Parts: sequence; structure tokens; C-alpha cells
Amino acid sequence: MSTIPINPVLPFLRTDRMPTIWCPGCGIGTTVNCFARALLDSGVDLKHLAIVSGIGCTGRVAGYVKLDSFHTTHGRAIPFATGLKLANPKLNVVVYSGDGDLSAIGGNHLIHAARRNIDIKVICVNNLIYAMTGGQTAPTTPGHVITSTHPYGTFDPNFNLPHLVEAAGAVYVARWTTFHVRQIARSMAEVFKKPGFCFIEILSPCPTLYQRRNKMGDGLDTMKFYKEHSKIKNGVSTSEVGLTRNGDIIVGKFVDRDRSDYLTMAHDQFVEALGDRYVDECAAECCEEGI
Amino acid sequence: MATLAPAVEEKKGGERTALITGSEAIAVACQLADVDVITAYPIRPYDTVMQYIAKLVSNGEMDCEYIVAEGEHSQFEIVKHASAVGARVFCGSSGVGWMYAMEALTVTPALRIPMVCMVGNRALDDPGAFGTEHNDALAVRDLGWMLTWVDSGQEALDSTLIAYRVAEDRRIFLPCAISCDGAFLTHSQSLLQIPSQEQVNEFLPRYNRADLLLHPDNPITVAPQANEDWVMEIRRQNYAAMERTYGVIKEAFADFERIFGRSYGNPFFEEYMTDDADVVLMGMGTLSTPVKVAIRQMRKAGKKVGFVRLRWFRPFAAEELAQCLSRFQAVGVIDRDYSFGSPHSGGVVAGEVRNALYPGAGKKPPVLGFICGLGGREVTIPDVEKITESVYQAAEGKRQPLTQWIGLRE
Repeated sequence: MSTIPINPVLPFLRTDRMPTIWCPGCGIGTTVNCFARALLDSGVDLKHLAIVSGIGCTGRVAGYVKLDSFHTTHGRAIPFATGLKLANPKLNVVVYSGDGDLSAIGGNHLIHAARRNIDIKVICVNNLIYAMTGGQTAPTTPGHVITSTHPYGTFDPNFNLPHLVEAAGAVYVARWTTFHVRQIARSMAEVFKKPGFCFIEILSPCPTLYQRRNKMGDGLDTMKFYKEHSKIKNGVSTSEVGLTRNGDIIVGKFVDRDRSDYLTMAHDQFVEALGDRYVDECAAECCEEGI
Repeated sequence: MATLAPAVEEKKGGERTALITGSEAIAVACQLADVDVITAYPIRPYDTVMQYIAKLVSNGEMDCEYIVAEGEHSQFEIVKHASAVGARVFCGSSGVGWMYAMEALTVTPALRIPMVCMVGNRALDDPGAFGTEHNDALAVRDLGWMLTWVDSGQEALDSTLIAYRVAEDRRIFLPCAISCDGAFLTHSQSLLQIPSQEQVNEFLPRYNRADLLLHPDNPITVAPQANEDWVMEIRRQNYAAMERTYGVIKEAFADFERIFGRSYGNPFFEEYMTDDADVVLMGMGTLSTPVKVAIRQMRKAGKKVGFVRLRWFRPFAAEELAQCLSRFQAVGVIDRDYSFGSPHSGGVVAGEVRNALYPGAGKKPPVLGFICGLGGREVTIPDVEKITESVYQAAEGKRQPLTQWIGLRE
């Protein structure tokens, strides 16, 4: 009897919502594929997994995965995820959003969640531009890039996101491109098990608005560019991984360190201040539920 | 790079005709008004304006500071402060982007900042929709913003110039938002008359903040804590400024006609086929197009229907409107907005129209409210016919629901 092979990632996708809004050559779909593989590989309990997205092309991920998900307002994915995690600490909370949403309109939340070491996993798909609204300059757009708001090239400096979140306090920081599908899936699987604020930046093509305007070819050309220009440097100082228009892309796992996450710090402080009088309601609740 | 609005036809003296969108019309108006500081943050449908302005600035066709901010909140704060130091400013947004700037939108009129904004009307989240609804701009209706709704690219361009003229008048110093229906107006091209720079210079004097200018030679504190000692008096000043807008808007429209040779008639609302009308429909923005087409068709069938398009929502010309509406047997207000829990659970405009009619002497026609075209759904000719039918029933004394949802899938 013959069987029809099914793509192993299909059970994680809402196929009734397909085709996606993503353009040909866009890398967001690739990252979702990696995410599904990471879920398979890591054996994460899907009943305790929540995906939170903001607004933008990557923000649409929340609607395409067959998981508990929330499509928040612009920039508000991290505060929503913070509330989710604090209210229900046993959840594995993943923020899946774009560079514009996370580092521009939501930039304040990004650094404060890292500072508090909130136990959430942030996947930032970085296409170096505001893609959904027409290719305007974002805080991640490198210099000398043509955008719809800088038709003769950008000049304001761009964020080095790994450096920013490391300085703010993230315990895990990695960067890959959509060429590095295995490494992405491996990093994602790692952060599911890593307590604290984890950040994975994934560079992704926007052939429609970034590569086209900058005469950098299509999605395939960008894969070749990523292949030729990516240098894997695990553990390198994040101060050295800033992005330029045509320069090398330093990828790898840059930070993997341990420090107490927000809820642990809160618990420890209450124990120190109150001693035996402190009752950890959350721990008691988890105990009752046998978790 | 090509000029933004190439002339299809040029007239003597620098006036030209061009085929441009509503968003381009706003950008061209900013260029003609020689705006000094513009901030931007992308959100559809407003973002087309920021792109056109970016093009003008980059091409050296417009001399202004232009910054893409990191969110709407910063976007509106930056121009607010630029205005306090004497710069003519422009800003804009849509839907939830406008709402995210709400803190800045609140303090702007309170500080008497004559900011001019474009709101590309868009449905508020959730659920996400790109289409037009008017609740975004209406959210500031009680705060001291002047609010105008336009229904064509020409009116968008002209209203921007008029907005600067009124907002920056020393008697006013209040912000003004120009609402343009998303997609229907922002993204639709039409042939527009673009005035000459000389005409605009004559119409629009330079912004002069005078004794309110924040400058080292004029040490003042903007927005000090006032508490109960002075807050009521300060609010009263805002009230008085808004009261003066009625007269200043009329002056501006009269000057506009004198200098540009085009007239809008009554600045506050447009009347269409009302002279002999039995009943009238009312509304704001681009729904005027299907309504006017439907009215022309219904008139062929013998129905004497007219249309009153509200152009200025703040200030609201209550007395004039009440006088106008008293001529008709019934009024149907089409709202592209909602006000849940409001009297009769109606739309915002319907409520305001009833409010305007209540204290007046004279005849008070029944006012029916219709919620239609939410989330960018089209207001169709059959919708308008259905609305008119109900309004006629009311005119004949037959009881009709005060609020009806039209074009709803049930």
C-alpha cells in the first residue's frame, strides 16, 4: 500500500491561510520552516507554547502557525509577551517579529525586556527596511542604501541589534541569515531550553523593496550574497558585528551566558526581604498542578 | 528623478494642471506652503504622503528638515517642538498610528501649536484592516483640534493651504487635521489645479509665533505645571480660540476665492441638489461620490433627494446647519464610523447633527442614522437607495429605526 508523504512541518501551519502574503524570494517563510523544524527537533510541549507577533510582514507569522498566537498592535509584541509570561510562567513564550516592529516603534520594550531578563525568546527577522509599508528607512537600514524615504541613500547610523540587546542584558544572542537554515533551527531549539531573554536575529531578503531598489538582484542572488559574505564567528564581540550595505555579515552564536531571569530575581528578593513569611504563589500553584 | 507633479497643462503665471493622487496633492501643498520641518513614520495609507515628500526633499525641490522617526509618538512630538520654536510643520498618520501618538495629540492643542496634519483615514485595530473608517481622526474631536474632511484631491490640496492659514492665525494657534479617506482618496489620481507660488505666498503669510516663540532672546516656559490655579482659565482660552475659528475660516475661504479664483461656497458644508429637495442625506469624505451618483439616478425616477456634505467637523457649524436642515422633511446621516453605547447607538456625525438641531427654533426634521462602509467597504448605490427609502418613510411620518447598519452581511 502506498502512502502519500507529508511535509513534516505541515502540522504546524495553517494551510487554509495559504498562500501567504510574502513575496517571491522573501525569507520569512524560510524562517517559519526552520521554526517548525526546531519545534520538532526540540520536542517542545506545544500546549505550553505561545507565539506573539507585532505588525509588519513578519508580524503575519502569528496567523500562519497552527499554535496559540497573538497578532498585537505595532511594536507591542514584547509587552504582550511579558504579560503572558508573568501571568503564566510555565509558558514558553516566543516573540516572532520584524526589525521595524522590534527595534523602532517597539525599541523601548526590547531593551527593557532584555534588562529585566524576561524569559521570552525573541526571533527578529531583519530585512533591513520597513517592507510592508513600502520600503522606508528603518533603524536597521545600513548607510548608503536606497529607500523610499532616502531616494539618494541613507545616512543616519543603523542599530547593531546583537550589540544593543547584549548591552541591555540578553543572555543568548545569535545571528544567522536565511541561507543558514540548519543553524537557525539549531539556535531556535537551543533557546526553547535556555531560561532568560534570548534573541535570534535572522537576516532575510526583501527582493521587492530592498534588493530591487539597490540593484542587488532577486531572492536567489541574495542567497548567493549571504553565502559569499557570511563569516561564522561564534563568540565574537558583538561590537564587531555591525552591518553595512555590501560588507561581510558576521553570523554565529555571539552570547550564551547565565543570569537570573526576572521571576527568579523577584523570588530571591522577596525571600531575602521577607524570609519565611514569603509564599511563592506561582510555585505553589505549579506544585498543585504537578508541574 | 522626475518632478513629482509634472504639468499636463501650464497657465500663465505658473499655475498648472497635473494628474496626481490625493496623497501627492497634500505633498505638493506642503511644498507650496514651504513647510520647515516634517516628520514621518510609515503606516498605510498615510505613508504615500511621506514618500512623495521624501522625493521632493531629496530632489532639492523642497527645502525642509525631514526625519523618519522611530514611531508616531516621537513623530508628533518632534514637530510639536519644532513649531514651538517657530517652524511651520507638517505631520500625518492613519488608524492606530494616529492613536499611538495620542499623548502628543492631546498636548498639541493645549499648547496652542498650529500643527497641520493629514490623517489618511483607516479602520482602527482590531481586527486589522487597511480600509477607511473615520474613528481615528474623530478620536481627537473634543481636544481642540480643527478637523476637516475632504472628498477630492483638489480639496485636499486647497484645504492644506487653508489649514495653515487658519491654524497659524494669531487669533487661533490651534492644530488642524485634514482627513482623507484611505485608498478612495489617498491613492486615486485626478486632474488638479496647482496654484502658483506667488498666489500661495499672497494667501499664506509666514508663521509668526511672536511672544509665544521659544527662543533664548524670549525666555518663556512652555507647559509649566498649572494645577487648579489656572487650568480652567487656560481651557477657556482654548475654547475662545475655537470659537474664533468660525470667523477666521470664513475669512480664509473668502481670501482663497479672491486669490485662487476658485470657490467652495459655504466653507463648513457643501449642498448638492438641495434647492428643491424633500429629504437630504448627509456624510463626510469620499462617500459623496456614490451618494451623488445615486441621487442623480433617483432624481430621474422623480425622487427629490439632496446631499449635505459636512466639510468641517470641528468647528461644527451647528446654527448654520440647523437652519439648512430645517428646510427638509427628513435627514439621513451616513456615518463611516461608530460610537458604541452612544445615544441611539448611532454614529458620531448623526449624534452631532441631532445635537445641532435640538436647541434651534424652527422645524426639526427627523434625523435617521446609518452606519455604512466600515473597514473600507464600499458605500454602493443600492445602499444609498435603501437609505433614501427609509428617510422618505420617516418624512411621511412612518416610524423608522434611529440607527441602521447598511451593507452588512447577515
